[in-house]
Amino acid sequence: MTNAKATRPEVVVPMTTEEETRPAGGTPAVGRPVVSVRDVDKVYGNGTVALKDVDLTVKEGEFISLLGPSGCGKSTLLRLMAGLGEVSAGKVNWWEQDYSVVGEKGRKLAFVFQNATLMPWARVRKNVRLPLDLNRDKGDEAEQRIDQALEMVGLSKFGDAYPRELSGGMQMRVSIARAMVTGPNLLLMDEPFGALDEMTRNKLNDDLLRLWKDNGWTVVFVTHSVYEAVYLSNRVVVMAARPGRVIDEVPIEAPYPRGQEFRVSTEFAGYCRRVSEALEVASQQGEEAAS
Amino acid sequence: MKSPLLENEKFVQVAAPMFVGFLFLLLWEAIVRANDIPPYILPGPLEIGKAFVEDWGVLFHGLLMTLKVTLLAFGISVLLGTAASLLFVQSRWIEVSLFPYAVLMQVTPIVAIAPLIIIWVDDTTWALTVCAVIIAIFPIISNTTLGLRSVDPNLLNMFRMYRAGRLQQLVRLRIPSALPYFFGGMRISTGLALIGAVVAEFVAGTGGTQAGLAYLILQAGYNLDIPRMFAALGLITLTGISLFALMVWLSDLVLRNWHESALKVEQ
Repeated sequence: MTNAKATRPEVVVPMTTEEETRPAGGTPAVGRPVVSVRDVDKVYGNGTVALKDVDLTVKEGEFISLLGPSGCGKSTLLRLMAGLGEVSAGKVNWWEQDYSVVGEKGRKLAFVFQNATLMPWARVRKNVRLPLDLNRDKGDEAEQRIDQALEMVGLSKFGDAYPRELSGGMQMRVSIARAMVTGPNLLLMDEPFGALDEMTRNKLNDDLLRLWKDNGWTVVFVTHSVYEAVYLSNRVVVMAARPGRVIDEVPIEAPYPRGQEFRVSTEFAGYCRRVSEALEVASQQGEEAAS
Repeated sequence: MKSPLLENEKFVQVAAPMFVGFLFLLLWEAIVRANDIPPYILPGPLEIGKAFVEDWGVLFHGLLMTLKVTLLAFGISVLLGTAASLLFVQSRWIEVSLFPYAVLMQVTPIVAIAPLIIIWVDDTTWALTVCAVIIAIFPIISNTTLGLRSVDPNLLNMFRMYRAGRLQQLVRLRIPSALPYFFGGMRISTGLALIGAVVAEFVAGTGGTQAGLAYLILQAGYNLDIPRMFAALGLITLTGISLFALMVWLSDLVLRNWHESALKVEQ
């Protein structure tokens, strides 16, 4: 713990990594690495190679999407970034240190699952406060943070509802509020809006971008939708299957805030075509490997 | 205009089976009378009703004895069964080592071991209770263990990510997840506790002040007092139904806000 404190001044040291620094469109502070994945392999007990030689650095303030055909290991990669499961080879670092720094002030991590993953027996408010309860945070400050989180996702009036009384989109918003309540710095999202209809999805995409801006989060977002990836991210990481690996990265340099105009712009269409092509290559490579 | 009573779901739920029951009793009485069947072969419902009223003192005392054993056995089963389940989920080793013995207990016919238990345990009430526990405890153990393991894996991941301790996991996640299974186990267990109490009593053949409903049936059988036999049988059935209804009510009370089994879905 003291070690973490000692290394903190590194923040002021300008970033000089071997990596090419991409100009991230419209995002001012893209800074030091938040999560870095180095030469990571993940082999499951049954011999499935889920990830092979994956290299990825997520920098502060970035919004990154992991995109790829099913079985490309994007969810596995996200889980490794969350500290769920061990790597078979290589290394994952959080804030340039090991997993033990996660949870400290300024180094908090939250995960949003594919389905809302709420406790059905608990009211919305109780669900949102779960991370605080587990951390034994009580008192007025905790209550305020719950209120704030509920307000940000527009569910202030639904604190006493049970999850089953809410629509799928609202449940997902509860899930996001729960992730927000600890004041995370890094938000990992595993196809959070995959099961929702397009209208709700677009709305939540806009909400998410607003929250990302307001809270200064770093976001890693897994999706299988090209449009969603392009709309949200400053960088789309394209992955291929068998074995799961990164095959391309497409920077999206359109400025934020992005809105309806961006969705219908030729720039957007251009990026979507570029990403779709990369995805096409990824699918072909996966199929060749399978045959 | 339709009758508002028939529109009432609750009323229909009670009234419809009662009406069928009433028709059945009517038919029974008619057959007994039309064929002149003597009461020592098959008494009519009226005859049985008479026995109910006349023998109420003996029957009620028998009911209390049987109910005492049933409730004791059920209570002990719930406590011990839950404790065993909590122990089982602590480690795979404990479960793997002990679970086969829980199954062994379940598959051994109670009639076969009851005589032994009655020899070993001096006090009659406790001897009967032990027999009833042996068969009533299994659904609690197996259901609760299943429930404690049926946790949403992503919720479990989330608990791990927020560094929840074992106790927090148990109290905030495993136990609530297990509740529907636990109540399912309780429903089966009440019925088995009653069956266990009755079967054990048949084997023990306890008379005197300890005589429960099973002994009354045995005794009435020897005396060819068939109406009393039916009355005692009726009381056992009634007890079973009441206990089951109580469990359903209890489980609905606890689960009504969130679990599918207790929700009233409007289409």
